[in-house]
Amino acid sequence: MPAEVKQEQSPSNATSLAMMQEPQEVVEETVTIEEDPGTPTSHVSVVTSDDGTTRRTETKDLSTNVKVTKMVKTVTTRTVRQVPLGPDGLPLPEGSSPLGSYTDSIDRRYMKNGGDRFITPQATSTLTRSYNNSYNDSYGETPESQYVRHYGLHDGYADLTDNYGSLSRGVNFRPPRYPYLPNSYRPENSYTLPIRKDDYGHVAQPQVPMGSSTVDLNRSQPERFQPEPYGLEDDRRSLGPEEEEPYELEPDYSTANRRTLQGANRGRTHREPLRDGPRVRGYPDDPIEAELIDERHPYIHGMYSAPLAQPERGSMASLDRMGGRRSPSIDSIRKDPRWRDPDLPEVIAMLGHPIDPVKSNAAAYLQHLCYENDKIKKDVRQLKGIPVLVGLLDHPKSEVHRKACGALRNISYGKDNDNKVAIKNCDGIPALVRLLRKTNDMEVRELITGTLWNLSSYEPLKMVIINHGLQTMTNEVIIPHSGWEHEPNEDSKPRDAEWTTVFKNTSGCLRNVSSDGAEARRRLRECEGLVDALLHALQSAVGKKDMDNKSVENCVCIMRNLSYHVHKEVPGAEKFQDPSALQAPGSAGPQRKKKDDAGCFGGKKAKGRKNGENDKNYDTLDLPKRAEPSKGFELLYQPEVVRLYLSLLTESQNYNTLEAAAGALQNLSAGQWTWSNYIRATVRKEKGLPILVELLRSDSDKVVRAVAIALRNLSIDRRNKDLIGSYAMRDLVSNLPSGQQRPAKNLEEDTVVAILNTIHEIVTDSSENARSLIQAQAIEKLVAINRTSQSARETKAASHVLQTVWSYKELRNALTKDGWNKSHFQPTVTATPKATKNGKPGYDDTTLPLMEKNQGTRKCGSGDMIPMDELGPDGYSTIDQRDKDCKYKTGDGSVDLTEREPLKNDTNRKHYIRSNRPAVSLVDACDVKPQPVDSWV
Amino acid sequence: MSFVPGQPVTAVVQRIEIQKLRQGDNLILGFSIGGGIDQDPGQNPFSEDKTDKGIYVTRITPGGPADEAGLRMGDKIMQVNGWDMTMVTHDRARKRLTKKNEGVVRLLVTRKSLEEAVKQSMGGCPRQ
Repeated sequence: MPAEVKQEQSPSNATSLAMMQEPQEVVEETVTIEEDPGTPTSHVSVVTSDDGTTRRTETKDLSTNVKVTKMVKTVTTRTVRQVPLGPDGLPLPEGSSPLGSYTDSIDRRYMKNGGDRFITPQATSTLTRSYNNSYNDSYGETPESQYVRHYGLHDGYADLTDNYGSLSRGVNFRPPRYPYLPNSYRPENSYTLPIRKDDYGHVAQPQVPMGSSTVDLNRSQPERFQPEPYGLEDDRRSLGPEEEEPYELEPDYSTANRRTLQGANRGRTHREPLRDGPRVRGYPDDPIEAELIDERHPYIHGMYSAPLAQPERGSMASLDRMGGRRSPSIDSIRKDPRWRDPDLPEVIAMLGHPIDPVKSNAAAYLQHLCYENDKIKKDVRQLKGIPVLVGLLDHPKSEVHRKACGALRNISYGKDNDNKVAIKNCDGIPALVRLLRKTNDMEVRELITGTLWNLSSYEPLKMVIINHGLQTMTNEVIIPHSGWEHEPNEDSKPRDAEWTTVFKNTSGCLRNVSSDGAEARRRLRECEGLVDALLHALQSAVGKKDMDNKSVENCVCIMRNLSYHVHKEVPGAEKFQDPSALQAPGSAGPQRKKKDDAGCFGGKKAKGRKNGENDKNYDTLDLPKRAEPSKGFELLYQPEVVRLYLSLLTESQNYNTLEAAAGALQNLSAGQWTWSNYIRATVRKEKGLPILVELLRSDSDKVVRAVAIALRNLSIDRRNKDLIGSYAMRDLVSNLPSGQQRPAKNLEEDTVVAILNTIHEIVTDSSENARSLIQAQAIEKLVAINRTSQSARETKAASHVLQTVWSYKELRNALTKDGWNKSHFQPTVTATPKATKNGKPGYDDTTLPLMEKNQGTRKCGSGDMIPMDELGPDGYSTIDQRDKDCKYKTGDGSVDLTEREPLKNDTNRKHYIRSNRPAVSLVDACDVKPQPVDSWV
Repeated sequence: MSFVPGQPVTAVVQRIEIQKLRQGDNLILGFSIGGGIDQDPGQNPFSEDKTDKGIYVTRITPGGPADEAGLRMGDKIMQVNGWDMTMVTHDRARKRLTKKNEGVVRLLVTRKSLEEAVKQSMGGCPRQ
């Protein structure tokens, strides 16, 4: 029973496809974007405390040169302590902002010296020193003023030795250092004396004339360090994979090791004794040790051993990745024993420090460390840092909760869902939502919503987010930023949406959670004001012709997701499934079946009859008059939305937006209730068919797919079917692969199947359309697919079309004339009718496939991402694969891309629109206006 | 010329003063601008850094006031009468330029050729 087969099979396919796409895409997107506002900012926020300039330098550096990341790092560390230095490297009084000049000078030096050896150990070191000092002196002013004085007095640092030694670590360090003395590089000075002297007294001094600035000092450093043999460390490093010995380098930071290592053969042995200290820190994975860490007093700990903080490694790791291997100068900085960064357990412990600035600095530092570094994120989690951070969200001081939130955002970003779960498990989601309600600080709100967005990419957390945060996000962000007002003021102009980062993040989060199945959709639909606000935002985007941005994309995707199954899921939907729907041709499953049977045995007659009926029905179709304006979820399926989606389809250049808008139409035109009848008719009346047909020429696979399926659903309407058959056939066919060669576009299997199903739907019941198909030279392609395609689904779909075409006896003459015979239209072996019977009969019965598809499509979705990354034009894309997913480039890189691609597409589109306008005679409403990017003044 | 919005920028700028031309009711400058923080920076054909959301001169009316004052297509407008233009919406920039009560606009603009010239004359990178 071929006829039966086809009618059952294709619909089910179509439907499932139709609905499928939403969730898949959504999820994938999210992942990409998550950290975007993140890391540069994170760096920044670390530094922010008082200085803008530093920040600037950092970011610039980040984008220009890998090495400089190091600098950034340096700066950061330094900030913790904030030793004031004037622009000339001389100390400044408290309150001025030293960092800017400081970094600047580093920068400058860097410029002069060129790539390799700009590293400035003392900067990094400063932190340690100050860190220790801070605890020694309990954050008093003393150490600082001391520094000030010393810097001022002794420009060359030459005489600082004693002071530094006495300040903090010198003493503590000596014992461990001792044993290695004999092998050390420069024994007497380095080890017996306080560390300072070793560096500045010895080597730096000669090069630093009195009165010279920090810059010069900096420059001198690399020179000093250069001759030392670093090879061993590098070797060793390459031997020990990150995973196994993540902290391997730590020992080297301690003075003892630094020296030891320089004798090439002693790396291992000498490291051992020190291991214990760093190990505890370095292997937190080990439960026992982790416990140890917890119990240890961090500050004390910090004093007796001084490996360079793991954190440091974080930023260096990225250097490594980019540079292949670390340069000696980087090593040198690590080995510099004089100061060190706090290590991870210490930082986490500092989160609980009684002094607020310590907390916030620790959180900021943590954010910085976690940036881009999955390992650190994991360590933070295992060191139980996440509950502490979540606890800080409720801290009254904005500085503290902001930084904590920043850290959480970075931690929540990335593939490691355990981090997300950890945040959830300590009630992080309600805490974030609480803070969102409480704070008015834009930056904090961005961080919160960014974190929620990150969290929302993990399936099991979606419902949690909905439960705790949906109404708050809607009330606090979506509604106010959308410009929608509950009761609009009569005389005030409707407000436009503001595409703020907060809105983008929140809509991204909602977009993710909206893909979590029927219950999630129900909650979102019934969330008061949400649909209204989203629609208002989209309308304002259309009004302003500003619809290529991410926020619009998110909104459309939410709308599409909420439109899915709307005819089954909204309250009161049954009322609209009235028997009259059965009368409405093509709208109901049973109806269709009957019709198709008729087609099978005498399509022509059936067609004629139905046709007349349909025409009458739809042309006289009256939209229901409503007593009061619809609101809430009702807005989803009001015919008014058709115009909105069509505007987006006409004007947007963002593929995702296009796909989502087409998907929304596809969802709305599926199903068998009254509203989908209206929607189908409205699309036609709003001249939407040509717009959709044009998009069949899009370069984007998923756009083509969504549009094809939408056309299929739309052709349930008889008039639409006739129009689509006449005007869209060539475009549909041109998307099919011909023989072995795929067309230029090389569409995915899903897309090809979708197009075949659409063609099938169009030619079913319409010998006219079948004739158009033949005229579009489709038979050759169909036969080729049927015979040679590697894909069973393509083969099956093609064979259905062929069978349908062959069933029109009046066309057989023409077909034979073209050299075809019955055998060409027979199903091939693979496409057994039996198999196809499994298809579901209804158009909208998509529930089952939805789940499967979900999985499948998500995969191919993430596949999509890879090319995007590779195309990434920015310098960051050279980062090694591991970072693909949590990259700081994400934001800028991919956004750029999406924006760039459509641009290209745009020209194409215009081109074909122009060339095709006459052909598509039913068009007149699709003026593609360029974005208002130009203003004459 | 990459920079972080809101952060200090080092750039070689040229001062350009344009006398507006009266055309009917309108005062015109004779050029068009593109860009702004609300626009898609990726579409800006003039910027080196495709994330730069600055205001750029996209077209110049030949022989118009801007043309005569030496403004060039692709120039990036840094300031208008002292107002920062590196962090403004497109519309804000337009409004700043088209104030009815101002007959003259003084622009600070930067362009690549300027930077290069300076670079050469200084024998190195202009960034200090």
